[in-house]
Amino acid sequence: MTWQIAFQLALAGLSVGSIYALVALALVIPFKASGVLNFAQGEMVTLGAYIGLVLSTALALPFAAVVLFTVLIAAAFGVLIERLFIRPIVAAPEFTLVIATFAIGLIIKAAIRLHWQDNTFPFDAPYAGPALAIGPLRLNPSYIVIIGCLAALAAALMVFFRATKLGKAMRAVAIDAAAARLVGIRVESVFMSAWALAAAIGALAGLLLAPIIGINPEIGQLILKALVAAVLGGFTSLGGAVAGGLVLGLIETFGGALFGATFKNIVPFGILILLLLVRPQGLFGATLQHRA
Amino acid sequence: MDGRHVLLLGVAAATCAAPIVLGSYQLYLAQLMMINAIAAIGLNLLTGNCGQISLCHSSFMAIGAYASALVVVRAGLSFALALAIGTALAALLGACLGYPARRLSGLYLALVTLGFLELVQVAIEEFPELTGGVRGLSVPKPQIIGMALRSDLARYYLVLALAALALYLGSNLQRSRFGRAFNAVRQSAFAAQAVGIPLARTKLLAFTVAAGFAGLAGALQGAAVGFIDPTEFNISASLRLITFIVVGGLGSVTGSILGAVLLTGLPEFLRGTQEYGDLVYGAILLAGLLFMPRGIKGLIDDLRGFLPATKPVRS
Repeated sequence: MTWQIAFQLALAGLSVGSIYALVALALVIPFKASGVLNFAQGEMVTLGAYIGLVLSTALALPFAAVVLFTVLIAAAFGVLIERLFIRPIVAAPEFTLVIATFAIGLIIKAAIRLHWQDNTFPFDAPYAGPALAIGPLRLNPSYIVIIGCLAALAAALMVFFRATKLGKAMRAVAIDAAAARLVGIRVESVFMSAWALAAAIGALAGLLLAPIIGINPEIGQLILKALVAAVLGGFTSLGGAVAGGLVLGLIETFGGALFGATFKNIVPFGILILLLLVRPQGLFGATLQHRA
Repeated sequence: MDGRHVLLLGVAAATCAAPIVLGSYQLYLAQLMMINAIAAIGLNLLTGNCGQISLCHSSFMAIGAYASALVVVRAGLSFALALAIGTALAALLGACLGYPARRLSGLYLALVTLGFLELVQVAIEEFPELTGGVRGLSVPKPQIIGMALRSDLARYYLVLALAALALYLGSNLQRSRFGRAFNAVRQSAFAAQAVGIPLARTKLLAFTVAAGFAGLAGALQGAAVGFIDPTEFNISASLRLITFIVVGGLGSVTGSILGAVLLTGLPEFLRGTQEYGDLVYGAILLAGLLFMPRGIKGLIDDLRGFLPATKPVRS
């Protein structure tokens, strides 16, 4: 393997890893706030892509407006799901929560397939184009944009959780919801904000992915990879989710190039099972979250 | 002889006599209902009684289906033996998953079983020379003691007999020492341990038994349909099985059967496409969780509470 090929693989791995990282963030943020793991998040990514499709084709909006409105609509949808379905059962046993979020995902996916069937729609982004040649290297602009978006979002989240009132409130609720309520934080509106934020990030991931693989109802499958990324990152750490996504992307890309497609397909789930059995706190998690 | 036995005898007589009035397609549908009921009884023991989430119940059906079909096609074994092998292999792999997973619960268990589901799915697709890959696998019509069960009628009675066996085993197990241990583990792991129930061994037993029921159901499904479609064992399939027990009633053998029979029949009455089916299943599952957490069985029990008691209630 020459260093040029290694660089090319690393770039591809980091870009697919960035998508995993974004969806992993969308899983971890509401999980930290409300203790609910949203198994419908994959379908919310798919939905984001389809919202973008409608806005850009039916309404013919410019790309920047498509991104903005998609993210806003998705956030509103996240709020809706939280209010309608999650809040009534937030104190229910874990089985109920797991299966209810799965059911929401099933409904979203079935509704999408009912309307758009199993077709794959192309989705054009203004930045997508031929690879930029820099010396012997080829840079796919879509990959650069994806990695750049993840970096920008990670930075924005860091500021949000450190410097804004809502961000601090979310951290407080994540540490202890009852104590947060005692000091006057509206825990319910924090839950709602967390779901809105996660839905928006998921929709962004869908928009970034769409120009590369097209839009079809199976996009949501990538929640599985995002779960692996989140578990790798220790499940309750945002930095861990990002690192886990990037590591998984690199493992998949290099593993696939070196050992073939079977390896690439089997290894994420092998990692998931092994990690949960041997080291449930993840590679980066410090303490074991005890959840009875 | 109380009401329960009368009801049971009535159902037994009705199912035995049903082929007189049912057409060929309805007989086929009835087989699918009973096969799903077998799988649901197993899952309900694990999830409803023992309180363990399993998102990979359909994988054990896949294991039973592929194993029993392959030993007939490749090794030329008899169908009865193939059924036993499919069931045993699924139970064995259930134990292999249950052994490490017995220390996990809740979310972590959900994730491990989800990972197992995907591993089985990938394994089916990656070894096409054995499993037929994504194109599926044809299953020969089952033969018993040299007689081919070519007609739907013969297969109907085979499935009926095994469903009755599953009902018998499931309800007896539920009432046994082990079934009570399952319930104790679900209600409070600490209390169960305190009264001397071996927590890990009980969970392991529940995993093994549930996987065995699923393996039997899978093997029968392959034989009844005559074809194994790998997409029949994905996450939607697992959720469908969970819908059966949630809608029927968690922790109840009767509930498992009610849920499986009603919901397997449902798409036939709706006459919709497959996507429509998923939408309806999802909505029913969500509504069941939100509004009817004890399922149809719970509803029946509540209604019975309103009726005047004709004789002293026995437990």
